[in-house]
Amino acid sequence: MNGTQFRLAWAMILPSLALAIWIIGYPIYDVVMAATHEVNRFGKLRDFVGVANFETLIADPIFWGSLRRTFVWTGGVVGGTLLLSLPIAIMLNDDFHGRGILRVIIMLPWAVSLTMTSIVWRWTLNGQYGMLNEVLKDLGLIGQSIEWLATATLAFPIEILIGILVSIPFTTTVFLGGLSSLPGDIYEAARIDGAGPWQRFINLTLPLMRPFINIALVLNIIHVFNSFPIIWVLTQGDPANSTDILVTYLYKLAFRYGRIGDASAMSLVMFAVLLVFTIIYARMAMRESKEAAAQ
Amino acid sequence: MPRKAALLCSCATMGAIALGAVALAGSAQAQTEIRVIASHYSDQTATIFEGMAADFEAAHPDIDIVIEDVPWGSLQQRLVTDVAGGTAPDISIIGTRWLVDFVENDVVASMDDYITPEFKDRFIEVFMDPSTIDGEVYGLPVAASARAMYYNEDLLEQAGIAEPPATWDELKAAAEKIDALGDDYYGFGLQGAGETEADAYWYYSLWTHGGEIFTEDGESGIASPEAVAATQTYKDLIDSGLTQPGVTSADREDIEALFKQGRVGMILSGPWMRGQLAEEAPDLNYGIAGIPEGTQKATYGVTDSIVIFADSEVKDEAWMFLEEAAFSDKWRTEFTLKEGFLPVFKSVAADPHFADDPQLKAFTDLLPYAQFAPLVPNWQEMADTTKSALQTIYLGEGEVEPTLAAAADKINGILK
Amino acid sequence: MTGSNGMGKWRKSLLYWLLLAPLVVVILFPFAVMLSTALKPPEEIFVFDPAWIPDQPRLMNFVDMWSATGFGLALANSLIISGSSVLLCLLVAIPAGYAMARYRFRGQSGYRQFLLITQMLSPIVLLIGIFRMMAALGLVDRHWSLILAYAAFNMAFATWMLQSYFATIPKELEEAAWIDGATWFQSLRTVFLPLATPAVAVTAILTFVNTWNEFVLALTLLRSQDSYTLTIKIYSLVAAAYRVNWEQVMAATLLATVPVAIIFAWLQRYLVRGLSLGAIK
Repeated sequence: MNGTQFRLAWAMILPSLALAIWIIGYPIYDVVMAATHEVNRFGKLRDFVGVANFETLIADPIFWGSLRRTFVWTGGVVGGTLLLSLPIAIMLNDDFHGRGILRVIIMLPWAVSLTMTSIVWRWTLNGQYGMLNEVLKDLGLIGQSIEWLATATLAFPIEILIGILVSIPFTTTVFLGGLSSLPGDIYEAARIDGAGPWQRFINLTLPLMRPFINIALVLNIIHVFNSFPIIWVLTQGDPANSTDILVTYLYKLAFRYGRIGDASAMSLVMFAVLLVFTIIYARMAMRESKEAAAQ
Repeated sequence: MPRKAALLCSCATMGAIALGAVALAGSAQAQTEIRVIASHYSDQTATIFEGMAADFEAAHPDIDIVIEDVPWGSLQQRLVTDVAGGTAPDISIIGTRWLVDFVENDVVASMDDYITPEFKDRFIEVFMDPSTIDGEVYGLPVAASARAMYYNEDLLEQAGIAEPPATWDELKAAAEKIDALGDDYYGFGLQGAGETEADAYWYYSLWTHGGEIFTEDGESGIASPEAVAATQTYKDLIDSGLTQPGVTSADREDIEALFKQGRVGMILSGPWMRGQLAEEAPDLNYGIAGIPEGTQKATYGVTDSIVIFADSEVKDEAWMFLEEAAFSDKWRTEFTLKEGFLPVFKSVAADPHFADDPQLKAFTDLLPYAQFAPLVPNWQEMADTTKSALQTIYLGEGEVEPTLAAAADKINGILK
Repeated sequence: MTGSNGMGKWRKSLLYWLLLAPLVVVILFPFAVMLSTALKPPEEIFVFDPAWIPDQPRLMNFVDMWSATGFGLALANSLIISGSSVLLCLLVAIPAGYAMARYRFRGQSGYRQFLLITQMLSPIVLLIGIFRMMAALGLVDRHWSLILAYAAFNMAFATWMLQSYFATIPKELEEAAWIDGATWFQSLRTVFLPLATPAVAVTAILTFVNTWNEFVLALTLLRSQDSYTLTIKIYSLVAAAYRVNWEQVMAATLLATVPVAIIFAWLQRYLVRGLSLGAIK
């Protein structure tokens, strides 16, 4: 590696670095400042208060509820997405009639923004006038209209389901990419050796798909943890904060109640949670690949 | 260069410079700009304000008025961020309950320098109070409403009820009979959700049971015995199946839609419904009566105020616009009539359109008993806390007294 | 596979379609609702026991919606903002991706981790900070605030994708061009870029879709009706409005999503290829 190459390389990454440090770096500093000071609702920093804002958060039951629900939300959506996307990808990878159409249909939720999907579902789930109740009644599955969004018991699972629905296209695409890169000959060899389809799946497909599953897992978790539109459009975290996750509560704190200091403290907590997760995950992944390499 | 040409050139140049100077001077002098934000009440709001602007501009050719129409849902945030970013307009309509925060942070200008006693006298007193803080006037009431009970005359008749209910007990009885008419009919529309006034719907009950949002010692009154009784009344109605299902997912629009379809017997609403009913359900036979009494009469008085921002550089001109155009009799009548509000001017109240309107009577009759949203900072968070508590109770996930008590504690904490 | 037998393929197709049918129904259901509601005249919307097919289908809803909601302006805003952010993002990500793929240099892994961290910092976490910074710069309610923010937040993903793809372009091709006397720039232009185009295209499309659909940043940084993107405009039609005209909302949603859906459908196979090559890290 010579000097010119070094300078050249750095010159090439400099613009991206500059952009990121400007747009992302300064706000980080600002959020840290706001989290440790008292801030009025119009954004003026007042006194330094150290960890007082964090203490307010810790004492806030809605914060803990939102934290818990965020884990449920993330786990539910990502888990459901991965579980469904792998079989879907395997099917779509296979050759059958109408595959092209099916691929297009499965991709549709990705093209429609989360916000618009949520808006349409909010209308569809309307207790009095929505089509879902209509269809279910016509099919004889329910006798009376159900108020889908009136309680958290119904609304939160529905939100998770919608989250899964909109995450399937991306994850399926990643898996399809992975599947299409798998060499076909090892399957032939395995079949000749007498391995059945299930065994081929467990022993060949899964391990080879590991990198893709990892990528899908990490990207999805980061994305879903911070996902705002679905819950906001459908229930706004209500009734009684029972469907609030960290991001929706953050939004209310900052922009409805004007508690900017507390909201900034919460932002830092969210970042810390994700950071911890990423570090743990990276460690695990490195250990696995070391083990794999050692074999 | 030949003499003539040189002369011509210099004449032309001087002429150009002169023209430029005139143009510059003209533009410097011509347009003082006043930026006004009008909140979106209906599709007519912008037109009405444009009309005011046109009248004013005709009388003051050197002033240019720019009107912007902003929906209520985004208005508060928009203003807060505008102020934070230094781009606030000169004039804006605001929800009067936001005024306290604005005044505390020196965001709006006091109007005491501009208001003459004669001007003040044109207003109906009770509407000026909410925008008067510590004796100084910070905003002029631009839209005023009270609340009353709308009832479906046909349904009441079918159910064999002669008179609209005047007390909560009578309402419950009436609701039972209406509910019995069929699966699709509901007795009482109860709003339990939504960004607009889900908590206010409960204040109707609170006030008519003699309760208060804040007691005289400045503590939260939402856990008082009166408040408990008020909540019990509503809970009773819900548990007996006399309201529409899905109370905690019904916002104002939902229950008003139900009423417009003729499927609910009684709801509590404001003057805007009349305009909407005339347009969307002209065949519906309805009446307006006072909010049912528990132990006393009450209604919710709401004003929206128009304010001038402290950082505005054209405060004098802005006031002129308000005094001459926005608050002229002509435009006050126009606005109040078209948007369906209550008159804030004594002169407008005397106008036959309003004085002779029997339906308006139901609202104006209650004005002496009007209560207003308290003017305290951080009101939004308190309102949300109340709403949360109510939703928990409506869903049956919390007992009335302890849930209200917990909410009251939280509100007292926010107050300090 | 067993599919050499025609009957086998048909049976398999049937099986797969049956298995995926519930998913297909759930995906297409909202589109049906959109279409049905968008064609209904206002009187037929708030009806108990709504029907699928309107009594009097009303195509005029689309026309009404266009003018009443300022759809055209919002569409233009979305196009400008998304297009510009993609351009800016690519402008910084392509060189970065090239450097990461081609060179080994000190600080490289540090840079990689830096990218990962910026990816983890979703806009929500920094929302307040971004907003205050844009306010201080006087960019609130201006397109530039979103363009800069989108470019910055999408840069990590774009760089990562491009880098992975670039790594698969054999360096030997460029070296061959150098031996033939081409300068570095010339080899870039004649050899590298043509091969890199699919990757750049895929990255561009993904970034475009991300910015087109983005919600929270747009909601916070755009203030006046005139500057709203399509996503926020449609949201504003249902959020705390005095009255929600659902037929117009659905018409708008339909118009906003169908073109994007079609483009996506057409390009999805390139997406698969692009993601497959980029994914192994």
